Amino acid sequence: MHRWSRLPPFGRGDSLVLDVAPPAVPADGVRTGTPAESLVSIASPPSVRSIRRRIFERGRDQALPERAVLVLHDVTKQYPNGKIALRDVDLVIPEGDFVFLVGPSGAGKSTLIKLLIRDETATKGDVVLDGQDLARLPRRQVPRMRRKIGIIFQDFKLLPTKTVWENVAFALEVTGHPRRQIRPAVDRVLAIVGLTAQARQIPAQLSGGEQQRTAIARALVHGPRLIIADEPTGNLDPLISWEILQLLLRINELGVTVLMATHNADVVTALRKRVVALEEGRIIRDEVGGAYHRED
Amino acid sequence: MISFVVFSLKRAWQGFWRNALMSLAATATMVLMLLLLAGFWIIQTGLLAGLEFTEQKVEVVAYLQPNATESQVTTLRSEIGAMPEVAAVTYVSRDDALERFRTSMEAQGREDLTQYLDSNPLYSSLEVKLADPSAIRAVGDALREDPTVRNVINIEDLVDRVLTVTNILRTAGTVILIVVGIIVLFIIVNTIRLAVVARAEEIEIMRLVGASDAFIRWPFVFEGAFVGFLGAAVTLGVLWAASEPIGGFMVEFFRVLPIQVGTLTRDLVTLVVGAGVGLGVLGSWLSVRTYLIR
Repeated sequence: MHRWSRLPPFGRGDSLVLDVAPPAVPADGVRTGTPAESLVSIASPPSVRSIRRRIFERGRDQALPERAVLVLHDVTKQYPNGKIALRDVDLVIPEGDFVFLVGPSGAGKSTLIKLLIRDETATKGDVVLDGQDLARLPRRQVPRMRRKIGIIFQDFKLLPTKTVWENVAFALEVTGHPRRQIRPAVDRVLAIVGLTAQARQIPAQLSGGEQQRTAIARALVHGPRLIIADEPTGNLDPLISWEILQLLLRINELGVTVLMATHNADVVTALRKRVVALEEGRIIRDEVGGAYHRED
Repeated sequence: MISFVVFSLKRAWQGFWRNALMSLAATATMVLMLLLLAGFWIIQTGLLAGLEFTEQKVEVVAYLQPNATESQVTTLRSEIGAMPEVAAVTYVSRDDALERFRTSMEAQGREDLTQYLDSNPLYSSLEVKLADPSAIRAVGDALREDPTVRNVINIEDLVDRVLTVTNILRTAGTVILIVVGIIVLFIIVNTIRLAVVARAEEIEIMRLVGASDAFIRWPFVFEGAFVGFLGAAVTLGVLWAASEPIGGFMVEFFRVLPIQVGTLTRDLVTLVVGAGVGLGVLGSWLSVRTYLIR
């Protein structure tokens, strides 16, 4: 919330321009305004080994707390049933980055996200979020850490009995914010996602895209450093998917780091953002300006 | 802190009414279980009072020698009265005994045959009420050893048998009450668990947006307490409404027994409200806990 207060307020009409014709978004049409893209050049498709080395070097540069929102170093996750979901994962996400996390089902995307929100802890290695090592974080500190992350799901996870406004305000209420702070903060994020007019409706009265925008508003209302979107377009048709993507890109422009796990190849390939590909628990590809599939 | 309590109470109130069906189902279960518990408790209280009443009837009667002097009787009376097992000692003189006999004959509508006697054939006696009926042998032996005592009616074996029965009844009543209590505990806790599980997604969202454990837990605990309180209130209402017709034929029973209705009501209210609120809180606490500990 404190972060939003520094941003210029959004007017009613100009909050979002969502009239982009769907797949026609130019690959270079969106600037992230961060130096992240220049960190790795991909003149020729790199081997996994060279990527690993580059990540590691970049990790050293970027691992400074004020630069990297997220650092995973040598992370392995083995579940109690013996299944190894992640193996030796190294990943650095600098502030302001927009990262697609791709890979087949069962590749470890969900496990990675669970580690980030500390639903699970790594068996080996470090997960450092905003300078805090999650494995060493005492249990009592976990809720405070989670407020630095906004999470968006495929199934929206909205409360059906609450209105749009109440669903967003809920995130602030249950974290102990006083009412006088809640009202302006909720109004502002609803303006950002373009739902001011629908504030009094309940989720069942909304379209899928509007429901997801409500979820995005809820994720944003704390002023998080990182937005994690787990298949946010999985339940939406292509047109609405692009609308959601536009919104996430806009939020990224405002300086929030975005990590989006997705199966939506069209979107990933068209946007040419940083793509991290997981397969069988390993990062097999990490390239800036990448496509959904490997381009050899 | 105050704002946290206000927040929790408000959320509890909302949680109750926004999930009205689940909440009312839980309250209805609560009412039925509390009625069951209260019913068994009332039966148990009546049973205990009845047993106590029976045991109070245990009395040792010592007939005195006709030549016993007044000072001998007084000494014996104070000696026996000083024993810790003895509650009270009553002296029945020969005249008193005759009077009693005549009264009882008259009450039975029989002819008073004592008028044909030229002297009083009855003995004077000491009637000893016992504080602890199991001490009957000690008191009886003490009386028999005294030379002023002519004889003591031997009711020790009978008293032993009565005590065996009352002890079995007392133990059985307590065991049944405990078993009913455990059943009530499990059913209420499980019903509240269902109401909480139905809102698992809400808890999940609260965790994901970074709500601390206290902010997740307390609204549910207050809600559980509210369900318990409401259930207790309805239960007491039902009991109060039922007490009029039931009391009609129970009043004689209660008059005989050493039960004070005021104390009984107070204990019953404490039991029902305490069990309702306590089990509501316990159920919520345990149910939410499974979502918090991960």
